[in-house]
Amino acid sequence: MITRAPNGRLLASRRHLLGLAAGAAGGGLLRPPGLRAQGRLLPPVAEADALVAFGHTSPVTDGGWTMMHDQGVQAVRKAFPRLRTIYVESVPYSADATRIFRQFVAEGAQMVIATSNYGDFIRDVSDRAPDVAFVECDGHAVTGNLGWYYITHWYASYVIGIAAGLMTRTNKIGFVGSFPIPSVYAGTNAVLLGARSVNPAVTMQAISINAWFDPQAATQAGTALAENGCDFLCGIMDEPAYLRVAEQRGIKAAMWNTDMRRYGPEAYVSSVTLDFRDYYVEQVRARLAGTWRPEGHFLTLGHGVDRDPWGRTVPPEVAARADAMRARIMAGYNPFRGPIRDAAGRLRVTAGEVMDDARIYQWDWAVEGVTGLD
Amino acid sequence: MTDPRHAPADGPPPIAPGTPPILQLQGICKYFPGVIANQDVSLDVAPGEIHALLGENGAGKSTLMNVVTGIYQPDGGEIILDGYGQSFAAPQDAIRAGIGMVHQHFKLVPAFTVAENIHLGWRETPFRASAKTLESRTRALSERFGFSVRPDAVVADLSAGEQQRVEILRVLARQARLLILDEPTAVLTPAETRDLFRALRAFRARGNAVILISHKLDEVIDISDRISILRAGRHVGTWRTADCTAAGLATIMVGREIVRRDLRARAPGAAAIARDPGAAAPVLSLRGASCRDARGIETLRDVTLDVHGGEILGIAGVAGNGQRELTQVLTGMMPLSAGTVLLDGAPVPLADPAAFARAGIGHIPEDRLRSGLAPSLDITDNMALREYARPPIGRHGLYDRAAAARLAGTIVAAAEVRVPDLATPIRNLSGGNQQRLVARREIRIASRVLVAAYPSRGLDIGAIATVLRYLTDLRDQGVAVVLVSEDLEELLNVADRIGVLFHGRLMATIDAATADMETIGLLMGGRSAPNGPTSGGGHA
Amino acid sequence: MAGTLHRLPTVTPARRLAWRAGAIAAALAITTLFLALSGRDPRLLADLVVRSAVGSRFGLEDLALFLTPLLLTGAAVTVTGRIGVWNIGAEGQFYAGAIGATAVGLFLPGPAWLVLPLMAACGIACGMGWILLPALARAYAGVNEIITTLLLNFVAGLLTTYLAVGPWHDRVTGALASTGRLPVRIPEIWGVVHWGFPIALAIVLALAWLTTRTRWGYQITIGGANDQAARYAGIPVRARILGAMLLSGGLAALAGMFEVAGTVHRLQGGLANNFGYFGIVVAVLARGSCLNVLPAALLMAFILDAGIVLQTQQLTASAVLAITGLVLFMIAIADELAHYRPVTVRRATTGAEARP
Repeated sequence: MITRAPNGRLLASRRHLLGLAAGAAGGGLLRPPGLRAQGRLLPPVAEADALVAFGHTSPVTDGGWTMMHDQGVQAVRKAFPRLRTIYVESVPYSADATRIFRQFVAEGAQMVIATSNYGDFIRDVSDRAPDVAFVECDGHAVTGNLGWYYITHWYASYVIGIAAGLMTRTNKIGFVGSFPIPSVYAGTNAVLLGARSVNPAVTMQAISINAWFDPQAATQAGTALAENGCDFLCGIMDEPAYLRVAEQRGIKAAMWNTDMRRYGPEAYVSSVTLDFRDYYVEQVRARLAGTWRPEGHFLTLGHGVDRDPWGRTVPPEVAARADAMRARIMAGYNPFRGPIRDAAGRLRVTAGEVMDDARIYQWDWAVEGVTGLD
Repeated sequence: MTDPRHAPADGPPPIAPGTPPILQLQGICKYFPGVIANQDVSLDVAPGEIHALLGENGAGKSTLMNVVTGIYQPDGGEIILDGYGQSFAAPQDAIRAGIGMVHQHFKLVPAFTVAENIHLGWRETPFRASAKTLESRTRALSERFGFSVRPDAVVADLSAGEQQRVEILRVLARQARLLILDEPTAVLTPAETRDLFRALRAFRARGNAVILISHKLDEVIDISDRISILRAGRHVGTWRTADCTAAGLATIMVGREIVRRDLRARAPGAAAIARDPGAAAPVLSLRGASCRDARGIETLRDVTLDVHGGEILGIAGVAGNGQRELTQVLTGMMPLSAGTVLLDGAPVPLADPAAFARAGIGHIPEDRLRSGLAPSLDITDNMALREYARPPIGRHGLYDRAAAARLAGTIVAAAEVRVPDLATPIRNLSGGNQQRLVARREIRIASRVLVAAYPSRGLDIGAIATVLRYLTDLRDQGVAVVLVSEDLEELLNVADRIGVLFHGRLMATIDAATADMETIGLLMGGRSAPNGPTSGGGHA
Repeated sequence: MAGTLHRLPTVTPARRLAWRAGAIAAALAITTLFLALSGRDPRLLADLVVRSAVGSRFGLEDLALFLTPLLLTGAAVTVTGRIGVWNIGAEGQFYAGAIGATAVGLFLPGPAWLVLPLMAACGIACGMGWILLPALARAYAGVNEIITTLLLNFVAGLLTTYLAVGPWHDRVTGALASTGRLPVRIPEIWGVVHWGFPIALAIVLALAWLTTRTRWGYQITIGGANDQAARYAGIPVRARILGAMLLSGGLAALAGMFEVAGTVHRLQGGLANNFGYFGIVVAVLARGSCLNVLPAALLMAFILDAGIVLQTQQLTASAVLAITGLVLFMIAIADELAHYRPVTVRRATTGAEARP
């Protein structure tokens, strides 16, 4: 009789939401969110009395996004052994999300961390619980007790893109994406810009499979891309299906979230790895100490997001060139600078202009050389 | 304990002395909350006998048979089969033991063919059987037991008599040695009844036994060897049929003397039949009325009749010859394909049962439980069915439950039905009580006409007398009554005129006072009326 | 044979209630057992559930918020059930109502006192429109409404998603896969509980009155109990089926309007949160009585609310669904068992012994 899961997650996926949100912002109507709001400090909390609650968008065993957040939760537990943590998996993108966050507050949480974008659903609760600190991954609003954070994954993608540009023989890179949303635009664009920085002949073909986790569709997409002559696959998926395709076909692949080399040791090049441990520990510490302030925060390269150690088939000189750029970025360099044209050939970023993180966060167009996204 | 040993030519076969009864019941008790359904019932059924079980509605006959067939577990007593004690945990055990029951309401799958129904749930059905195999097996069974059926026909298309033959054949095929028939002739034509009895005698001649539940005393006396009577759940006695008379049985059954009064005679002061020339127009008339069923077949053909106040018009005919359609046309339930319905001489534009009811036309439907009542609802809601829209129950679009309960109480009192509580679902009442309630309900609104279809079907003698008295009382008040019945004697006793339907055509309307069974029988068979009431061929 | 069962023709309400209480207790016992076996402390969980769901203000507010749509969808399914029709499509009509309400809310600027009633009216009209085709097909062609209403749920759900991410997608504040925030909202009366809650309560009470105390209700009841008898009594059964189904669609749609204008404030995919399907559960528990919808919806709301609490203890949402199913299953068994009464039978002596 009940034909769907109770949480009715049609669109509950974190990055989709993020993308659409930022996509709308790309219209230029949304100002970059205030990075720091004025607000009173919340009183300190003794570690033994503290309760920190996490709301996840998928199960902690998903092997990808939520698993990485869960490692952050584990780090918090380790850093504050007397503090209690609770979490809820698969928080739906519906009014039930509000209820879950309210329940966190009802159970006495002093800090609530949503590891995905819940927009109004978390805002409705945070406005009514001014004594509780709320942090939302991929959020946009900063209020007196609500802040947001996100990873600048585009820098890691750019570094991997350099390796792709050096390693491709066919000069065609394939990208298995979910939806045409800012995270994916930032991913494709960063990889291709990185590749073109060392090999201007490279082009990219992207396929959207309308899911973050669909091994069958990802396998089909990876196979189709390989058939089209792509010899380097990348994408943003929560599982390693297209890595297996690459392994079977003798081509290369780069992944997301975490180390996946065991699924295709020959094909594995690297991965955009996420690490929320330090950020969560620092946030919780600030809350306990009474110094927490709501803000918008980007986790930067080397501090929450990075490239995974290179695969064993990556030539040392390739690794060296890519890592040189990694070191430059970590030293403060921003490779996203004009001129950048979009897929239609229009000049979007003029020469000398630099795209800052806030702008990349809302990227909603593909750069020249990317096909299959628009 | 009597043991019939006499063996006429067509009668029971000789049975060796000492042969145990096929079925012996000893002190069977069965209780329902607040009801003693059976109390200490002991009787036996010998091989080679047809044993009739008589009793008023609610006397416990059906419960007893449900115990015998394993549908109920007895609360006390024992069932002894061929000398061995048995307990049936389920109906299947009883079937395996050779007891087969044919219920009053057939338990066939309407969408299946005859052959499929015969083989349904039967252990001997071949594992992989084509329709052809099943049909040929059915044909063989049909010949062996002397019940002719059409194996490939779909049950839904069969007449009641044909369905009953399928049901009996189904039971016989499972090697039943004791056949229990509940009211088997209620739905049969006289000819079908004769066929059934012939087959039952043949069944008996092979040393098997039959328990026959019936209300028709004449039939019982005609076919049975011994008769047992239940009254109020207790076994009153068992008699050899040869020693019984109909009047005597009826007396024992109801526990009181039944007086057959001349029902056609008007009470002093009763309304006269408004049929004289110059009197007002007939209350209800049909002019060339025809109608068709869903398949486009004409079920009522060019019927013209008049119903006058203060008379009872009987409608005779073998079931399925247009009676249902006629009653539905007369009560506004079915539109005509041709012709007109006249109410007080004025054509009725639309077939609307509510409007007919408002005009004072009551209707006791053929199948009360299916079309006259909502079985799951309580007595109150059911009794309000005709008057829910008029004060005091229905005012300003409301439904006054208190007023409805008062109405139900009035009807229940008038029907002399004892009920524990007006909130009892009506399906918990016995068939006789349901019929009385429906009859009283309809009589209340029948200020002009009452159309009563088979009002005595399935009732015991006492209940039949009551219902017929309702009709004559109504007639005496000047109401026109249309009585559809398959019981010719009843029609001849009660009706002033009798119309005979055959294949949807009204063959003739004859004066009941001068009509005889033979004439009506011929008309029912589709022959036109002979010249005189006594002429024509005799009935076989 | 030492004992046997026999079937009672009718069951008194008290008897049924007792059996149902037993069923719920049994379901809880089984749940407790499983929780204990998986290494959790059932007493601690029970304590948390009771404290959070009914012992705290947030819990009571959430209970009322759950109740609001459940009352309406439960009543929607109950109303058609009274005439023997199963509206499985309350979910779809819920979406249709939300879409209709959102259309007015987004594109018709005006004061709340004017816009809110218009949203409700438009939502109800959309819900009725959504069920119109199945209703006509059922009333006049005998097409099974279970299939048609069910299938339209998916259409409505996908249409909602399409509107929320497509033509009506929020272009102003740039948040989420939903339409923009509605400029008007149903006023709140107690915390997050808005006026939809008392209105839903009042509607259910009104329906209880309508179905048992009016001519229309009587006709529906007769039509549901035996449509042949209804035709015999001249009740326009088709018109009543059509009417009951339209009313049902309107009720479910109003639930959608309340949800979008009172709780979520945006139209988005997954908005119905299965309230339409839970309405079926409520209706099954209510056994055709609109008054019974109140306790049935309360039980369902409590289970859902308890589910939220349990999720913070790492019980997944599916476990909550399983508990719901278990409760329903046990109640279904109890309803049937309530018909039986154990009877001890004298041990039947065998025929051989009995014979001299």
